[in-house]
Amino acid sequence: MRIVLVGLGTVGRAVAERLRELRVPGFAPRLVAAADSQGAWIDRSGLDFAALRKDAPRHAGVLEAIEEAEADVVIEAAPTVLSAPGAAIERLRAAFRSGKHVVCVNKAPLATAMPALVELARYNRVQFRFSGTVGGGTPVLDWAARCAEGDRILGLRAILNGTTNYILSRMEEGATFDAALAEAQEKGYAERDPSMDVDGIDTAVKLVILANAVLGRRSVLSDVAVRGIRGAGGGTVRLVGEIGERLSVAPREMDPRSPFAVRGTLNAVQLTLQNTGEVTLVGRGAGGRETATAVVRDLLSIWHRHWEER
Amino acid sequence: MKVLKFGGTSVATPEARRASANLVRTQKEPVVAVVSAHDGVTELLDEAARAAAAGNRRRLARHVAEVRARHDGPLLDELERVLAGLAALGELTPRSRDLVLSFGERLSAPMFAADLGSSAVALDGGAAGIVTDEQWGEASPLREVTRHELRQRVAPLLEQGRIPVVTGFIGVTQHGALTTLGRGGSDFTATLVGAALGAGEVWLCSDADGLRAADPRIVAEAAPLPEISFAEAMEMVQFGAKGIHPRALEPAVESGIPVRILNTFRPDVPGTRIGPVAASGPGAVRSVHLVRDVSLLTVAGAAMVGRRGTAARIFETVASAGGNVRMISQSVSESGISIAVSRRDLEAVRAALEGALVRPGLVRQIQIEDEVGIVAVVGEAMRGTPGIAARLFGAVARAGVNVVAIAQGSSELSISFIVETARGEDAVRAVYSEFL
Repeated sequence: MRIVLVGLGTVGRAVAERLRELRVPGFAPRLVAAADSQGAWIDRSGLDFAALRKDAPRHAGVLEAIEEAEADVVIEAAPTVLSAPGAAIERLRAAFRSGKHVVCVNKAPLATAMPALVELARYNRVQFRFSGTVGGGTPVLDWAARCAEGDRILGLRAILNGTTNYILSRMEEGATFDAALAEAQEKGYAERDPSMDVDGIDTAVKLVILANAVLGRRSVLSDVAVRGIRGAGGGTVRLVGEIGERLSVAPREMDPRSPFAVRGTLNAVQLTLQNTGEVTLVGRGAGGRETATAVVRDLLSIWHRHWEER
Repeated sequence: MKVLKFGGTSVATPEARRASANLVRTQKEPVVAVVSAHDGVTELLDEAARAAAAGNRRRLARHVAEVRARHDGPLLDELERVLAGLAALGELTPRSRDLVLSFGERLSAPMFAADLGSSAVALDGGAAGIVTDEQWGEASPLREVTRHELRQRVAPLLEQGRIPVVTGFIGVTQHGALTTLGRGGSDFTATLVGAALGAGEVWLCSDADGLRAADPRIVAEAAPLPEISFAEAMEMVQFGAKGIHPRALEPAVESGIPVRILNTFRPDVPGTRIGPVAASGPGAVRSVHLVRDVSLLTVAGAAMVGRRGTAARIFETVASAGGNVRMISQSVSESGISIAVSRRDLEAVRAALEGALVRPGLVRQIQIEDEVGIVAVVGEAMRGTPGIAARLFGAVARAGVNVVAIAQGSSELSISFIVETARGEDAVRAVYSEFL
């Protein structure tokens, strides 16, 4: 399987490593192009990710590499920049119109243009997968879609951001918001600018992806009513994304004995199903290795379907 | 916000453009204008393209001169280069035809924008965000992509206080090739823009006062209908009411955005509002139509009775002869199936049916009524109102008109029946005076 990898950061590196150690009979991934925002390196016989040097001359622009590379799939693993999703959307469009499958872990294009991207993938008869965007290595999207088959999802609520969950768990144990945030930053859970997490934006983005992918509800980020965790806390409070009549993200008080009230950096998704009641999935939500595993899973399912449909 | 679409006669002359621009300026809310090609220009371009491909230089030059007489600007040079290319190749593909036809709207929009003033900005359908498939000549928009792009490209202009003037009828593929949306194209553009941007209303402005309860050439006093439902409008246009193509209504129906049909030159006449729900009113019947140039074939013969697959065989045969079925009527006894087709298809359909059914003895004979009319009565409120059929056919009988065949869809949205052509207008007048 010939791969174009866009994004050479933590996730990109982890994906390259996971692919190197993966042993699946018949599955031979080959990195034929790698790109960041500066441009792309191309080698039909395969690039060694570890040997890439940022100062080495590029062979082509990113869009050109995506469109013209002889490749089967594009992995979009550039960092999520919600304020400027345009470039990532253009990369995905270039991949689709040149007939390439896409695995996407960049949340920005999905948050702002998911219905359009899904339509474009279908129109070009290519596969579009994005498991790594929600729940990290925990296969939330596939699991939820499976739950909905033969049943009906009446409601969905989810804890989708490990950083805020860590902070709120520490506050439940008596820490102040500032102390808990500082601790999370020290441990590498929170960024220096934590606003994406603590203001609920990251949760809202993931909720939008769930609403489109699992419930078939056309939505974009601006459809979500968002409240972050600044000023919240005390008691068993969690930052919960909810899909009901509307899409909302807000801190909510909950029963500490509920399997949904997870602690630390864990994520949890709970579905209320018409015939099978409440089901809950809990797992680690982030991390380079976890997300890279989701990417590999997506690659394998694309590979299987690609050959089954021949 | 509101979308105002202007048809060919509403943009063709300086006076018409003045009236149209006035309508835009007097709106109290932000407006997106969608414009057609100047009346007659699309046809000129079509002929020019064919003349170019056929190598007929004299005709080509004449058509180009006619277009130049109505437009100016550098886009005309581009048009001439495209036509010269067609002449060199000596062929006209559907794709290159779309490219040539697109010049009609692309020449029209900048003129309209110039008349509106400096706040107006002209956009090609593609630049506005209409992205379509590659079905040249009758392209379908990729609805979600188009919605996303329109919001990215047109909405910010409105926020800046500009007036976007978008070419109707044309779009662009994901690879950047120009496409046209086919029949009803400019109306389609207008409803797509309205649905994507959450318009309060979409106005389709032309030189007609609205949809009427009957053809005014038959019923002189028939006035424009103030309000009808989407379902009724869809039904009415099937029966030949001028004004809007069913495809163009779809985005409005899905988003529940009302569409108003009105006259650019008589903006005080409110026109027809087409909305999600039917107007409440005393009458169950909304309109009555006459479809002319129809022939009726009746496939009869005892051999058909109880034989499985006869109907399938008949319709397969009609379809393979290229016949467009307008109406079907069958009795439960199965002793005959009546099919109304367009009159110009009659001979082909008759020959096919005789060859496929009479020749092998499946059917005794095909009875022909060469020229009949279909009278169609439309009204959503007929559903569940008892006694409509009795009143309807009572009125027709009192007028002395003989009904040949009847069909009613199970939606009860319309009732159609066949009469002799000569009595068609009498039947329409009888229905009109009974219900309207």
